[in-house]
Amino acid sequence: MMDVFTAAGFRDVRITHRYNCFAGTTKERTAQRYGVIGANVSAIRELA
Amino acid sequence: MAVTCPVDFDVASLRQEVRTIYARVAAAPDGDFHFHRGPHYATTMLGYDATELAALPADVTSSFAGVGNPHAIGPIPAGATVLDIGCGSGTDLLLAARRSGPTGRAIGVDMTEAMRRRVLQGAAESGLTHVDVRAGDATRLPVDTQSIDVVISNGVLNLVPEKERAVAEIARVMKPGGRVQIADIVIRETLPDSALRDIDLWTG
Repeated sequence: MMDVFTAAGFRDVRITHRYNCFAGTTKERTAQRYGVIGANVSAIRELA
Repeated sequence: MAVTCPVDFDVASLRQEVRTIYARVAAAPDGDFHFHRGPHYATTMLGYDATELAALPADVTSSFAGVGNPHAIGPIPAGATVLDIGCGSGTDLLLAARRSGPTGRAIGVDMTEAMRRRVLQGAAESGLTHVDVRAGDATRLPVDTQSIDVVISNGVLNLVPEKERAVAEIARVMKPGGRVQIADIVIRETLPDSALRDIDLWTG
């Protein structure tokens, strides 16, 4: 997803926070197995 | 994360499945789902401010089903025009509306009618008259070009098979220099076909 934002003309695309949002759900094991997490993503729309 | 739907899902069917699941969340947030919901989850696992959430209607926060916290990225300036893509029951949208204030504008877009009704009711109960909620989805935003200062979203882009199209729409509606503050699912490993075909992983 980060690459998609960069390709679309955004700059300073970065993950600012990570969350273990699947902990305690029925998908916890799948999430752990494949490294699935929630994350905050920040980006700036390039100036024209 | 895959940028386009990597398996032969019928995108229309997937979109309908997402609508159905989130209509269930709106109707019965305490039901059986494979993802967390509600204000306790938001405060204990995602770092939302408990006092701010307590100030919102319970019908709004009970259906919260985000995967991160867009408001933790940075403050929303007073007077800003904010767009929440897939606003759901409105927790993030109403928080944004409080921060942008009456000189700003908070626009929510969601494809689930039950969620849109819940947001509008919550905004009215909260006295937030600068909240505007529209029917639509991330790939066809019903929003003017270069009209948005801040785009927020929480656990929505992972539900969209056509990610490049969705991000192109975000780029279209944003003012130059505007900020994206989204929360979403990221994956460190390449998923096997069996996981890609697990529709729960697309709808949660």
